[in-house]
Amino acid sequence: MDEDVLTTLKILIIGESGVGKSSLLLRFTDDTFDPELAATIGVDFKVKTISVDGNKAKLAIWDTAGQERFRTLTPSYYRGAQGVILVYDVTRRDTFVKLDNWLNELETYCTRNDIVKMLVGNKIDKENREVDRNEGLKFARKHSMLFIEASAKTCDGVQCAFEELVEKIIQTPGLWESESQNRGVKLSNKEEGYGGGGACGGYCSML
Amino acid sequence: MAADSEPESEVFEITDFTTASEWERFISKVEEVLNDWKLIGISSGKPLEKGVYTTGAWEEKSDEISFADFKFSITHHYLVQEPSDKDGKEELVEDALPLPVQDLLCMNNDFPPRAHCLVRWYGLREFVVIAPAANNDAVLSESKCNLLLSSISIALGNTGCQVPLFVQIHHKWRRMYVGECQGPGVRTDFEMVHLRKVPNQYTHLSGLLDIFKSKIGCPLTPLPPVSMAIRLTYVLQDWQQYFWPQQPPDIDALVGGEVGGLEFGKLPFGACEDPISELHLATTWPHLTEGIIVDNDVYSDLDPLQAPQWSVRVRKADNPQCLLGDFLTEFFKLCRRKESTDEILGRSAFEEEGKEVADITHALSKLTEPAPVPIHKLSVTNMVHSAKKKIRKRRGVDESPLNNEVLNTILLFLFPDAADKLADGFESRTSTSAGNNPPPENEDYNLFSQFKSAPSDSLTYKLALCLCMINFYHGGVKGVAHLWQEFVLEMRYRWENNYLIPGLANGPPDLRCCLLHQKLQMLNCCIERKKARDEGKRGSMSDCSPGGTSGDTGKGADHSGENPDKDKEVGKSWESWSDSEEEFFECLSDTEDLKGNGQENGKKGGAKEGNKEPVNLKPEGRLHPHGKLTLLHPGEPLYIPITQEPAPMTEDLLEEQSEVLAKLGTSAEGAHLRARMQSACLLSDMESFKAANPGCCLEDFVRWYSPRDYIEEEVVDEKGNVVIKGELSARMKIPSNMWVEAWETAKPVPARRQKRLFDDTREAEKVLHYLAVQKPADLARHLLPCIIHAAVLKVKEEEALEDISSVKKIIKQIISHSSKVLRFPNPEDKKLEEIIAQIMSVEAIIARARSLKAKFGVEKCENEEEKEDLQRFVNCLLEQPEVSVIGAGRGPAGSIIHKLFVNAQRVSAVPPLDEELRRSGSSEERRLNMGAVSDFPPPTGREVILRTTVPRPAPYSKPLPQRMYSVLTKEDFRLAGAFSADTTFF
Repeated sequence: MDEDVLTTLKILIIGESGVGKSSLLLRFTDDTFDPELAATIGVDFKVKTISVDGNKAKLAIWDTAGQERFRTLTPSYYRGAQGVILVYDVTRRDTFVKLDNWLNELETYCTRNDIVKMLVGNKIDKENREVDRNEGLKFARKHSMLFIEASAKTCDGVQCAFEELVEKIIQTPGLWESESQNRGVKLSNKEEGYGGGGACGGYCSML
Repeated sequence: MAADSEPESEVFEITDFTTASEWERFISKVEEVLNDWKLIGISSGKPLEKGVYTTGAWEEKSDEISFADFKFSITHHYLVQEPSDKDGKEELVEDALPLPVQDLLCMNNDFPPRAHCLVRWYGLREFVVIAPAANNDAVLSESKCNLLLSSISIALGNTGCQVPLFVQIHHKWRRMYVGECQGPGVRTDFEMVHLRKVPNQYTHLSGLLDIFKSKIGCPLTPLPPVSMAIRLTYVLQDWQQYFWPQQPPDIDALVGGEVGGLEFGKLPFGACEDPISELHLATTWPHLTEGIIVDNDVYSDLDPLQAPQWSVRVRKADNPQCLLGDFLTEFFKLCRRKESTDEILGRSAFEEEGKEVADITHALSKLTEPAPVPIHKLSVTNMVHSAKKKIRKRRGVDESPLNNEVLNTILLFLFPDAADKLADGFESRTSTSAGNNPPPENEDYNLFSQFKSAPSDSLTYKLALCLCMINFYHGGVKGVAHLWQEFVLEMRYRWENNYLIPGLANGPPDLRCCLLHQKLQMLNCCIERKKARDEGKRGSMSDCSPGGTSGDTGKGADHSGENPDKDKEVGKSWESWSDSEEEFFECLSDTEDLKGNGQENGKKGGAKEGNKEPVNLKPEGRLHPHGKLTLLHPGEPLYIPITQEPAPMTEDLLEEQSEVLAKLGTSAEGAHLRARMQSACLLSDMESFKAANPGCCLEDFVRWYSPRDYIEEEVVDEKGNVVIKGELSARMKIPSNMWVEAWETAKPVPARRQKRLFDDTREAEKVLHYLAVQKPADLARHLLPCIIHAAVLKVKEEEALEDISSVKKIIKQIISHSSKVLRFPNPEDKKLEEIIAQIMSVEAIIARARSLKAKFGVEKCENEEEKEDLQRFVNCLLEQPEVSVIGAGRGPAGSIIHKLFVNAQRVSAVPPLDEELRRSGSSEERRLNMGAVSDFPPPTGREVILRTTVPRPAPYSKPLPQRMYSVLTKEDFRLAGAFSADTTFF
């Protein structure tokens, strides 16, 4: 299984508490929805291998607790992430307003400056929407992020959000190639071997 | 075989190669290559523009051919030209001369500053050279030379190639070439003479003219005029009063407190020797006609001052010894050392055999007994324990790689708080030690996050610089090992005595910095916690247990009684305890704890007696009231509790922990276990909350901790009033979810009495052990980013003074390159070397700029305009191979150069009778006749190009270009002639 995986990517999910971070992740990894998902304590972790443009990427996704108090704990896990999904709840304006804080947090604790960011407005299945799609778009543009609205409940946009993010990361070679370089001799040798005609070759020609 | 493969083709003639000799095969191979490179046919191109040989791009193609088993390389050199539109028209002129033959007369590219020697000698834009492939091979015998020459002649004839073809003969270093160029009805022979000793008649123009004319052998009278181009090159090596200003820094000065330009914490900069070794002045007469000037045995009109063109080039010293570069290189070499600190310092340096063991046990034991302390230990601690210091001084100095004064200077530099400590007693320095002034927010300062080094005002950064200097000046790797050991001891001392480490930003380790920096920050966190704990305890002791059980505590209390200034008292009493501090490593006993607890509560106004019951109805550990919220049931204000800070983490710990968490897998049980592992913090907060808010419930806690999980709704009650009703969110109401579970387990215990989430003692010992086992090489690798960071800043600073645009560009490249390389763990040595080499080259460029500025007196120039011109001139010298001097000898730059030569001449007024002077004895006489010391020394190089167009070999032949180049230098003399002859009737 791991044989044909091009690279392993670290993805973060952050945002205010109760916006549905864990639900999005559960929808993505297990394609289920649990309305009674317990509040995350600290960080949680899930793995999924996805295929983007014929390249398999293994995603190590770190789901974080949104509570203010946990914020002294969770940012340590930001280290080395290549992508981040920043979630807000379209039915709660306060979760949207706090986005700036989250971006600051990212900037402070992220070890790279070229991390790919995606903004996700969750819970669009609900009727009492407070944040307009355009506001989300505007915010994403201002901070050069990817943007999508989604619903973990109805499955809208979830798969797409993760795929887009991964594709964007893969298109930024400095982000992930260097990662594999640092995994030790064995792996890098293997990847070089692939350079000829394997997965990597296919990727290169795409560029 | 060949016939078999093509049975159908009509064979009129059988070409038989079976008897072909090696020679024939060689020739056909040459022809094949010429064909491959498409050099067959009429050569075309535009007339050469002025200076195009310098500005244009030259390229070359190579192939290998062999004559029997002797390998030759065949190389095509050519100036890259744009295809010209006129090609077609030119080809119409059937018997036009081949371009190379025309180029012989072109005067637009004489004396190119940088070109292949054949270009310089014959003015060619394109040629092919056949030379022995191996560097030490040579074609020596005359018959072999002739054979080669015949070969190319045949090849050219067979193919109709118009590109000149040369063969290199004799040893390579002699650069002897013979060649030929063929065109319709014309053949040009390229011949060469190379001599060590020069016949006297060839040292001047008239002699050369004679040989040129006799070589042409033109029967016509009068002979068509010969055009001449002359260049005399003068070399200035003796810069006289411009002594190279930078001396290697005086190391000894440092010890005396005087730091002669070299301080710890600064990197040195600049070249130790003059990075500009020579100035070459070329004085050129580009176009003279025969008869205009006289230059013979006894007299010469060629006065360099009168030359219409001057150009200058400077010879840069190869790899000048530069201080910064040396520092970097030497430091980098440390990374490859394998020895451990102990191996380097050697057992002999220590009094005890079991030193290694001692170091670790030492680390793990309480630092109570001074006995196993190694002799050489000389740290800031000594300033405190002055008695110990004396003992050590007496015993250990001679064996230590670093002498005391150097060591103390460094330690004072690294730990400036030690000085305060000496002066004012202990406690004052804690205020200065924080080192957390708001960092200046600028690009340079933030470089550390790009390089993953450490802020430039941090201890780590300073330590790196000190180690770098020690490595260079104070005992190399031994000194490094010594200082490191001192440093580690100092760290231990500070940990054990609750002194914060200065020069580190407060708070948890900054993951943007190098690991070593993080470790030091971690240690500081531990010290801070321990200190807070101990102070809390001490406070309670001095207040509550004046007649304490142990003598030590009693002492502490006594001090407090004597001294009303609490801060000072704390310091002193602390010192007095430093020998037996076992109790401080243990958790507070319950009784003490409760006493402290009671006391605190007393402050808050509640009369309180010690109570061991877990259910505590009196609030404890309150930070402040929430302000908005009140408890749901009793209706009292909700208090935010004092909580435990989460454990600070260095990146390696973090990695470990995330690995552990990730290893639990993605199953439900895994997730549950993961949550449980991380719930310690939640539980602790719940306990603190319960302690601070007696009678509270989970809803209260959630309202503070996770407000969105408490849902409030406006409900209209039976009476018609709008009432806000709240409840926990659905997810909090899941039976036995971890929050509920934790809440149920949580006992009301204030943070102070909880089990520590962060075991500072353990973590501190881990850090100290980590530090202790670092080898000098490890250390160098840890700190190399800091050194590169410092070097880049230094180079930037120096460049700012000179303002050299090319250097600015390189520095930018270095920064982006370094930040890519250094951000990842274990960067490759090769990449690091590249970075260092780049920094060194920048240093050399800046040093050269300074040297030139000083030599040309740019700073002294008063006329603003001239100053600018000079500055431009100097910049050009740095970036271009050759710079022409505006106004030749009369321009501002020209007159400075003139003066430089005059000064040099004056000093060597009695010139040593070296080989050159003997050789050009006649010119010496000439000079003596003139009665004064000449302004210029005899020229180091004399180049002459003679050109004419005459019919050869017979008077009725076509007039064809003839050219002879001669160069006369100290070591050799060369004539390179290209003589064309009409082949139509011969």
